[in-house]
This record gives sequence, structure tokens and C-alpha cells, in this order.
Amino acid sequence: MVSGNNYHAYHNVRQRRFCYAQLYLSSILIFKFKQMIIEKINYWGVQNPGHIAHRSGGKALTYGELLQRSNAVAAFIREQLQDKEPKVPVAIRGHKESEMLIGFLGAVKSGHPYVPIDSSMPEERVEKIIQTSGATLVLDVEKISEITNSRFSEASAPSTSIGPDDPFYILFTSGSTGDPKGVVITRNNLESFVSWMVEEQKFSEQKEVFLNQAPFSFDLSVMDIYPCLVTGNTLVSITRDDVSNPAQLHKTLQAADLTVWVSTPSFAQLCLMEKTFQKKILPKLRKFLFCGETLTSKTAAILLERFDQSEIWNTYGPTEATVATSSIKITKEIIERYPFLPVGYPKPQCNIYIYDEHDQPLESEKLGQIIISGDNVSPGYLGRPDLTARSFFKIGDLPAYRTGDQGYLENNLLFFKGRMDNQIKLHGYRIELGDIESNLETLPGIRSAAVIMRQNNGTDDYLIAFIVDENSNQQTEFERTRTLKKSLAEKVPGYMVPKKFVFMSGHFPMTTNGKIDRKKLMASVK
Amino acid sequence: MSNSQEQSAIQEKVLGILEEITGTGEIRNNLDLSLFDEYVLDSLGLVQLIVSLSETFAIKIAPAEVERDQWSSPRKIIENVEKRVAQK
Repeated sequence: MVSGNNYHAYHNVRQRRFCYAQLYLSSILIFKFKQMIIEKINYWGVQNPGHIAHRSGGKALTYGELLQRSNAVAAFIREQLQDKEPKVPVAIRGHKESEMLIGFLGAVKSGHPYVPIDSSMPEERVEKIIQTSGATLVLDVEKISEITNSRFSEASAPSTSIGPDDPFYILFTSGSTGDPKGVVITRNNLESFVSWMVEEQKFSEQKEVFLNQAPFSFDLSVMDIYPCLVTGNTLVSITRDDVSNPAQLHKTLQAADLTVWVSTPSFAQLCLMEKTFQKKILPKLRKFLFCGETLTSKTAAILLERFDQSEIWNTYGPTEATVATSSIKITKEIIERYPFLPVGYPKPQCNIYIYDEHDQPLESEKLGQIIISGDNVSPGYLGRPDLTARSFFKIGDLPAYRTGDQGYLENNLLFFKGRMDNQIKLHGYRIELGDIESNLETLPGIRSAAVIMRQNNGTDDYLIAFIVDENSNQQTEFERTRTLKKSLAEKVPGYMVPKKFVFMSGHFPMTTNGKIDRKKLMASVK
Repeated sequence: MSNSQEQSAIQEKVLGILEEITGTGEIRNNLDLSLFDEYVLDSLGLVQLIVSLSETFAIKIAPAEVERDQWSSPRKIIENVEKRVAQK
């Protein structure tokens, strides 16, 4: 095991070489016998320091730079937080820049978990996340860059690291009351997920190029970041500019020379609208890995037709069970047999059960709530024992999580059939409709708000907000819509701002139970 | 059909498609409306618009050729489509 005492400040080249040699030998042992993410990534920094670890927006980061710079950030964090508890998280703010990865690894090497926060997140929401997480140190891309520039020669690795049951990262997701909730993922949780992915997907070492589509604050990105980095491969992020400019996106994808595609199905559907998106522009692509939302058989069939050299994998799992819990390779036979595609078989060391409303297991093929149990299940929500007690429990000695998803098992093959509540997935983003409604209702002049998702075929899905307001300024509907979109965008991420606003007078239609009649609302719009 | 009649028919069809995708009739009131800055159209909507215009007018607009700035207002979109229809 690599102990902290093996690392010393490198005062000269000889000493540095000696320490690298020690690290190299230790890493080989660890690589063979243990699943330790940080040490595996360090190993590539020593073994092949010039190999590209990450490309983003025209910049490249090598494994050697990742090793040294994350060590420098770790040393900085240790200085700053020396009198704090080791579990106090460090907030890392950015989008998909290499500095984010340096910050993540630096935080963990210093003994602290990280909280990724996207730079597009409105300030009000960022403040809520920082407050809830208890983070006292926030590092943005500029700060990380400044630290690594000024301390580049100070490549000493830290003497602390996190234990197997300590938090590795805390990821904030939409909460039904309008406040985001932090899902704690431990080192064991993450290692369980990553080792499964690497083993099942048989990623080659130092030969793969992974696509990173999801922002680093979204748990889908964990599916590309860590399986890529522990195998010494190259991660290519597409930027905001790429996504907002179809011409640029096309060029970036073509230039990346990808071998592994990780994205939401919506993103692939978007790319498929371009008829030249086929094998010819990605000749080395051998695998599509999908997670985050439903993969339709239509999308899978088109992909198999256009990329006949590539495998397609569908996976399923909530953030609370570390990215993905089940997987299946989608073939023509699977599409023919199951027009509504399955989401896979459980990963090793994980069980999936279907429970009825009384928490009793259901037999095969019966529809009920999906329960996940295993070493990938999070210990709970940070600082929210009430929410944790509601959703997390034990089956035997293993932690278990009530997903709130509906589904059934057929010969241990899982089928997902939507949510049991008002949580939705829009283009891969997990959203509590109550989160948007609560934030809308805090805006001036709004009496009540209800939000629904209009479902078409995946790419055409969008949110509609129904508003009962005072309209004291006698604005037109367009002006009211524009004002609300701008105000809401200051409170919630852009993907949570509804596309359409419908203004109503009086009150919403109600069901006999006194709840908002969302079906009637849905029927009232074209 | 005269040139001006044809242009007017194209304009009407483009605005109809744009209205359906953006969900607002405001695009008819202000042809210089900044679609992206005013939260009317997003990147996904832009791709949907391109696909829909390509099918409606039987013109080739590959998303890979589209520069966002050239499609940022109803007027620019109409001009773009008119030019491509004339080149058919």
C-alpha cells in the first residue's frame, strides 16, 4: 500500500526520481491486487507521463501533469483546511475543464471529498449547495490554475488519503422542496462501480478515447471520467460551445477519434439528426454506453444500422447507487424480442428487488418499486437524516435504497417503467418538478405554479409551466414568459427552466383528492 | 407565383414552424427578436428547426454546416431559407 510516508517533497531531481520509482513499484502492486482509484491514476502519471489524460476546448492535460498538479492542489487544500475535520468537503467549481479533474483528485488526495458545482449554476443555488455541504473552501478553475502554476515544482504527494467508507464525492441533485440534496458516494461505492465497468466493458489500457458529454457535476460523467482515467486512457470533453453550435460539434466529434461513447440517449438522438453521423466519421468507435434516461428501441436500431462495428450498452441506476447498477448489451435480437428495451442485469455484489407498497418483495414479472441493495449503495444524503431514513435501509447486512422508480424483473432482467412520483428525467437530467414549482412560487406576483413534462419522443420532450399570477404590470404573455424565464434562471440550472409558460386565471383544476389535476392541465395545451 | 408572393409564402411557413418549435407567437411580432438571448430557442430547438425546415422546403441544411449566429433571429432564418430555396 502506498503510505503517506513514502511521499516526500522533491527537492532535487534525484530525490524526485527515487520517489517516482517507489510510487511506481507500489502502484504496480496496488494495480494488481487492489481497486484503488487514486493510486491507479497516479500509476499512469509515472508509467507514461506524456500520455494525454484529458482534452477539452483545444487544451490537453497529460497524466504527468495530472499527477503533479493534483498533488499541488492537495498540498494547498491541506494547508487551508489543516484545522478542519477530514470529511469537510471542498467545492470544485467549473464545467468540463481539466482543472476540475485536477481539483477532484487534489481534494481526495488531501483527505477531503469534493462537491462538483457547474459554473452555469445560478449563484443562489450555488450558495444553497455550499451551505448544505458545509464546504468552507471553494476552488474554481482560475484558482486551481493559479495554485498549479505557482506550486508546479512542489509535486509532493500528501500523507493523508480517504478510507474505504469515507466520502469520495458528494453530488447534489434536485430536491422536491426546492432545495438540492447531497448524495454521499464513498470510496468503496465508487470503486465497486468502476471495477465493474472496467471488467465488464473490457477497456484496453492506453488505447481508448472516451467521449465525455455530461458536465462534471452530473453523475453520468463518473461513467466516463473514472473508467477512462484508471485505465490510462484519454477523455475528450465536448464543450458548451460545441453543443450550442452544430457545425462545431460535428467537427469536434470527428476530430476526437473516439473509441468509447458515453452519453445520454438524447444526445445520441440529437447527433443522429445529422445524416452523416455514422461509422465513417467515427471509424474506431467500438462501444456506445448509455445511461441517465430511457433508450428507445428506435434509437438503438438506427445506431446499430449506422455503426455496425459498435456495441450498444444500456445501463440503469440512480445517483444514490453510484451511476449505474445494471447493464445489458443491446443487439438486434434484443430489439426484436423487447420493443420496450430492458435496462439490464444487476452488477456483481448487487441485488435488485421489486417491492410492493407494503415493502414486500414481489414475484417475477410483477410491477412494483425497484429496490437496489449492494456495495454501490450510498450511505445517504448529507446532513439530511430525515430524507436518508425515508429512502435508505438494510437488507441483511447490505445497504439498500428505495429508488422511487417502477419496474419489474423477468428472469433477473430489469425493465424500467417510469417514476412513482413527480421526479422526471429530461435529456438525462434528473429533476423534481416540485423543485421548479417551489422556486417559481418565490418569484414576485406568482400565486401558484405547476410544471409538467410534455413527452414526445425523447428529443422533443420539454417542460411546460402553468402559472396563476397577478400580472399587475399588464404585460403581454411573451413579456411575462421572458421575465419568468430570466428570473427562474437565476435560481435553478438552465435545464430546469420550462420552455413554455401558460398563464391561467383563478386556480388550477383539482382532482377529487384536492391535488392539482395534471392530466387536465396537460390536456389544456396543444 | 411571383417572386414576392413566393417569398411571402416561405416567410409564412418558416414562421409557422418557428412558432411551433418555440411555443410563442412573438416571433411574428418582432422579426429581429434575438432568439437565443431572449430564451426563445435553445440548441436542441435549433437542431429541430433545421430538420423541420429541411423537410418542409426539401432543401439540404446539414446541422454540421450551421453557424448559430446566422440563425439567431426570425428574419435571418427566413433569409437563409429563401436563399437556399432559390438555389435549388
